[in-house]
Amino acid sequence: MTQTLKVVGFICDWSVDLAPLSDGGRLREVPGVRVIRVPCSGFVRPNWLEDALNRGADGVFVTGCPYGDCLNREGNFLMRDRIDQLRRRLQRRKVDPARIGMLAFGLHDGASFLAEVKAFVDRIAALPPAPPARAAGRAAVTQPAQASEGERP
Amino acid sequence: MSTVATGQASGRYARLMTSLLRGTLRLDVLVNKLYPTDFNPLYYTGGLSNLFLFTLVLSGIFLFFYYDASLGESFASVQYLTDRVPYGGIVRGVHRYAADGFIVGILLHLLRNWFTDRHLFARDNPWISGMFLLLFAGFIGFTGYQLVWDERAQLLTSMFVAMLRSIPAAGAALTRLFIGGVGISDGTLVRILFLHIGPATALYVFLWWHYVRQRHPKIWPPGVWVLFCVGLVFLLAGAVPVTRETIPAATPAASPTRFPMDVFFLIPFWLLNFLPAGVVVLLLVALFVGGLAIPYASRRETPVEMGVRHSGVAQVIDGNCTGCELCYYDCPYNAIVMVPSPGPGLSKAAANRSLLAVVIESRCVECGICIGACPFEALELPKFLERDVLRQVGEAVQA
Ligand code: SF4
Ligand code: SF4
Repeated sequence: MTQTLKVVGFICDWSVDLAPLSDGGRLREVPGVRVIRVPCSGFVRPNWLEDALNRGADGVFVTGCPYGDCLNREGNFLMRDRIDQLRRRLQRRKVDPARIGMLAFGLHDGASFLAEVKAFVDRIAALPPAPPARAAGRAAVTQPAQASEGERP
Repeated sequence: MSTVATGQASGRYARLMTSLLRGTLRLDVLVNKLYPTDFNPLYYTGGLSNLFLFTLVLSGIFLFFYYDASLGESFASVQYLTDRVPYGGIVRGVHRYAADGFIVGILLHLLRNWFTDRHLFARDNPWISGMFLLLFAGFIGFTGYQLVWDERAQLLTSMFVAMLRSIPAAGAALTRLFIGGVGISDGTLVRILFLHIGPATALYVFLWWHYVRQRHPKIWPPGVWVLFCVGLVFLLAGAVPVTRETIPAATPAASPTRFPMDVFFLIPFWLLNFLPAGVVVLLLVALFVGGLAIPYASRRETPVEMGVRHSGVAQVIDGNCTGCELCYYDCPYNAIVMVPSPGPGLSKAAANRSLLAVVIESRCVECGICIGACPFEALELPKFLERDVLRQVGEAVQA
């Protein structure tokens, strides 16, 4: 069942060591999970998570360092708060909060990270199916330089 | 994948630092099994040092009122304080053991932040001020041992004078400055008392520099650790009184040759057993200068190996910024300031702004936390654009 799920994970480059766990951006043991490396968990914009869900992902999660040990001091705490916010916001649109995850694991926590991701994916698999993907998201980047206010598409 | 881990780091230094990094984080895994990560004491080495410093200041103020800085009286006044003043001996012990805790805390803090690369980019400010904090803390500890003016103090003073004398050219003048004249006199102890308290005050100036580039610095450890450390220091002071090493008072006639060692503050003096004074001075200077050079001289990873963690200084997209201040509150390094907006933005949300975010480049560490904070797509890391992230998301959901 987990094979058909599409899960996107944003992984802080300083947290879990992905080298032994992934191939070409996919977790070897949980192939439905795509990992995207980011400089810090706090870099992730909650909009991107929402966007991924809108475009058909079954779940999204962010992984930072253990709480208290963020390389950039506060990134994972800030991200945890932003994810809580996002969950509340999406809940109003009937998106199950279980589809959004915040994990915190250090460089050597690969095994527990995998276990947690598997549990996360299993929880999503048990949910009723997500609504179909919405229209293919918004334009990737707004281009303020050329388009003045009136000419916006 | 993760560049931290694979690190095809070239060079022996880089490999050594990478294995030290891995060792540090492996230790964390062990400690995290004992404590929830919010309570891992290794995450609070800075806060713990600050706690010990605070304990030192309070106990030091108490001791100061009883201390008499003169050749004849200082040993007697310390004796009086220890034996006759209620809890005087305990407070003296607290002062002594908190100092040990302080220096251990500082060293752990230094090693941890060194091994985990927390000195890169604009974070050299805390690093440099930290080196000065360490230097001053060591010196304050040394003058503290002199203040008691027992035989150990006497010997330390003569050793220190020997080290000063060995400095070429300036040696004689420095010596005269330090002891206040040609020989040791009452004035010497007054100077030492000042050299104990003056630099201790300066520590707070350096602490200001240490904190100035940080938003919400972790100044205190969690409450349970505060209680534990203060309790431990008091317990030690009661159980192992400082008077257990009975060192006689200093007298001009005595020429002591040995004294009980203190591993935390007196190591340079222990080295004098083996090395000439000049070499020890040279070694200390080399250590300090080398410490100052750490953030600049040698990198564990090349910029390429840092990958996404080196994506360039955050840039504000003027047209989109609404002046909402969210990035300003979230940047952990105070790198973003809000300035009065020179004109309206381009997007609808930004049309009525009164403020504009500006990234001060010399303070930015390229962490990208402000990107996550900005709900208006007004911030980007130049080498890792939102477009790149969304492309990866797109690939992920299509496949
Ligand atoms: S990337 Fe943003 S949050 Fe990080 S230091 Fe620079 S301005 Fe601050
Ligand atoms: S969060 Fe974005 S919109 Fe708000 S002040 Fe910062 S750059 Fe401007």
